[in-house]
Amino acid sequence: MVARRGSAMAKNKEPSESFSSEDEGSDDAPEEVTFESARVAAEEARRLAGERARREKTALKEKRRQREELFKEQKKKKLLPENVLEELASSAQNSNKKPSDISEHDQSIEDESESVREDNVMEDNEEETLAVRLEQSYMAVQLKDEGLANKQQQAARDFIQRQLYGGGSNRTTANKYFSLENKKGAVKKAAVQFVVNSWGKKKKQKAKEFTKRWISSEMIPTE
Amino acid sequence: MGDFQVHRVRLFAFLPAGLRCLAAGPSARLAAARVDGALELYSLQANGFQEKVIPGHERRIPEALSWAGGNRLFGAGLSGEIIEYDLERLSIKYSLDAFGGPIWSMAADPTGAQLAVGCEDGSVKLFHVLPERIQFERSLDRQKGRVLSVSWHSSGARIAASSIDLIRVFDVKSGHAVQRLLVDRRAKGYYTQKSVVWSVAFLSDGAIVSADSSGKVQFWDSEVGTLLQTCVVSNSAVLCLAVSEAEDSIVVGTSEGAVYQFQLLPVKMGSTERQWVRTKPFQHHTHDVRAVAHTATALISGGLDGQLVIRPLMEKVESRSYEAAVRKVTFPHRRLVSCAGKARLLLFQYPQHLELWRLGATSATGRDGEVLPVSCPPEHLLQLKNKGPEHISSSCISPCGGWIAYSTASRLCLYRVQLTGEQVALQRVPKVPKLARGAHQLLFSVDSTRLFVASDQGSVHMLKLLQSGACKHLLTLHPGSESTEAALLLAVSADSSWLAVASSDGQVNIYNLQNAKPHCMVPAYSCPVTALAIHPVTNNLVVAHSDQQVFEFSILDKAYTPWSRKVQQQGLHRDWLERDTPVTHIAFNPKESSHILLHDTHMFCLLDKSLPLPEDTAILCNQPSLKHLPRAARHKSAHAFKICKKYQPLLFVDLLDEKTFVVVERPLMDIKAQLPPPVYQKKFGT
Repeated sequence: MVARRGSAMAKNKEPSESFSSEDEGSDDAPEEVTFESARVAAEEARRLAGERARREKTALKEKRRQREELFKEQKKKKLLPENVLEELASSAQNSNKKPSDISEHDQSIEDESESVREDNVMEDNEEETLAVRLEQSYMAVQLKDEGLANKQQQAARDFIQRQLYGGGSNRTTANKYFSLENKKGAVKKAAVQFVVNSWGKKKKQKAKEFTKRWISSEMIPTE
Repeated sequence: MGDFQVHRVRLFAFLPAGLRCLAAGPSARLAAARVDGALELYSLQANGFQEKVIPGHERRIPEALSWAGGNRLFGAGLSGEIIEYDLERLSIKYSLDAFGGPIWSMAADPTGAQLAVGCEDGSVKLFHVLPERIQFERSLDRQKGRVLSVSWHSSGARIAASSIDLIRVFDVKSGHAVQRLLVDRRAKGYYTQKSVVWSVAFLSDGAIVSADSSGKVQFWDSEVGTLLQTCVVSNSAVLCLAVSEAEDSIVVGTSEGAVYQFQLLPVKMGSTERQWVRTKPFQHHTHDVRAVAHTATALISGGLDGQLVIRPLMEKVESRSYEAAVRKVTFPHRRLVSCAGKARLLLFQYPQHLELWRLGATSATGRDGEVLPVSCPPEHLLQLKNKGPEHISSSCISPCGGWIAYSTASRLCLYRVQLTGEQVALQRVPKVPKLARGAHQLLFSVDSTRLFVASDQGSVHMLKLLQSGACKHLLTLHPGSESTEAALLLAVSADSSWLAVASSDGQVNIYNLQNAKPHCMVPAYSCPVTALAIHPVTNNLVVAHSDQQVFEFSILDKAYTPWSRKVQQQGLHRDWLERDTPVTHIAFNPKESSHILLHDTHMFCLLDKSLPLPEDTAILCNQPSLKHLPRAARHKSAHAFKICKKYQPLLFVDLLDEKTFVVVERPLMDIKAQLPPPVYQKKFGT
């Protein structure tokens, strides 16, 4: 309650003070408001609302423009680089492509068979025309086979992954696994991947020398 | 041994791919497929030597391997194709789509005339094995759920096929499912987990053995469809299973990396009633064992940690000594590193790219055993990525450092490298002659003007390299006798007049390059060649075999040298013969003509021919103890094998010049740190 009153006090300077105090729903009698101040307040509110609307509009416009630009850029990215496009256009007039050797021939046959499997007549035609237009040194290769086979393969691979490494498979990391020995040994050591042998070289050397000296000093009095 | 400066290189991030499937075949051969698609053939007779490697392919990763129709090897994978491998040309002969989606399993029938494949869509398809190809025969009744494993009954009339939560038995003749065995799930808190039956085996007495993801090995009666016996083996999944030929022993592999043996033993002494009993556990792997095989005398397991472990069964091995030792294969038995000595460059071959490094240098000098500070760190000059889905089969850098060649299964690429100060310029040689296929091995001549390409049928192509950066095909060398096996190893003499070629059937041919004619053949030896080299001064050919024998053959005299005869008469030291990795590289000291450098994974050895051979009673690896002896005594107890085991495990050792070694190490811990996550194991007090 105290905090709320405090916030009302802070708002006192604002012109919409009267409304806010009414919203509080306190038991005090309504304050006296002059007509002039009410008019000023109403005008101010209208102005603010107008400004807000304008601002929103411009923001929206800006957003749209940016998106448009992004789309344009993406489209450009999708296209092949300019020099390749030019090359393709210039080679269009050239005679149809002859497979230069057996392996290339095989490849093209494979491509065709794959596209037939996809049952996509349009794409098939497109590919053929492309193959016709290409020069001898170019070879049409399907980069990604997005057919049913690929989906099934992905599902199969996911199955293995889920079974071997998915939830409930109780896996740990290689580092933790191999560090168990260091943890359990008589001489405790740090984790496998955190042991850096080059650290503390000077100190190790010092300790070594110290033990040597200590041993010799121990040995001499007994003899 | 003498004083040497050693470049200790740990720049090669070699990572073995996990083993996916194993198939023990005829004539003691073992086929192993890795998860990157590479196929390896091991000869169990020749000390488990990795005889042949078919490089991987991104889209052809076998999930199952099977020997059928005699010596033919088939593979099938998630790409949905059945592949026949050409074991002579080391490539894929053909592939055939099974049209059933990804293939999970494959098994050949007892006669080897039919192949059954289990597909993703729930069908089991039968293929006829014809002399030159395979042909689709028919499909058994399609059921729901992927078929993860198939196994034939020894009569060939029944097939057991496992799926998720159940095992089905098919009648081959009618194609109908005659039995349906439900595998119970494992309760895990409030819910149950599906039981994936990863592997089944059909025994000849009608019992079915299953291994499932809830850690059980179960025995079923296929006639009445009842459960006979359950053995809970592991808390995690049991992934694979193999039965011995006599059907008295079973080996299973689990997710925890443990391998268990089950044996059919009498219930009581003298009783005829026999029962399957879990007998021996082996923990050689740290990661999932996804493939096991059972030969007559050994258990073989392959894990996702990239290790192949051959564990001989003590009761089946006659001699109790070396035959009974466990053999672990972690590193490939061939060279993946090549070195340009003069330019101090190292080329590392990864499955899909090459890396070129310049060795570091030091300006300091020190005493024996001291580590010198590096004044000029090693420099990564180049990464050369291979295009396409095929993996690199071989690579080589020329001795001058100006050429790099690599080859995949179908093409050969040649690059001109120009190093001027800090700048590296790489230029692809445009018109490399179209050879029939890719190379099995590449080698540049010592003066870097010739490139030798080992090819099919024991032939070798010779390409001429021009300073301008072009190359042309000069000629092809064919072995005198008809050979169908591919040429695998090459060695050229320093004066470029002799070329030695070892093919995969163990033949070593020597060619005279002056007139391009076969010169002679090294007498046949029963074990495959693991490395060979020609001495730069004496032109003697040094050959190492997989049974650790070393021969020296004089090319001019066409006969073994007197030293080699002496070695054969006296015999090599027992410790030398009992090493378990083959010699993968041989090099020579240009200043000391009696020295031969040999190395395997665990040691390198300077073989000094001028010193006497060690007796069997002497210590073979005596270099550390020799250090503490006075000079006179040292001379007396020195012998020919000067072995250094300080650097391990080794992938490559070479002499850069007469006083400098380069050793390429790959610590096992670095490999382990990059392996996939292992199964968590609770240890008390941690």
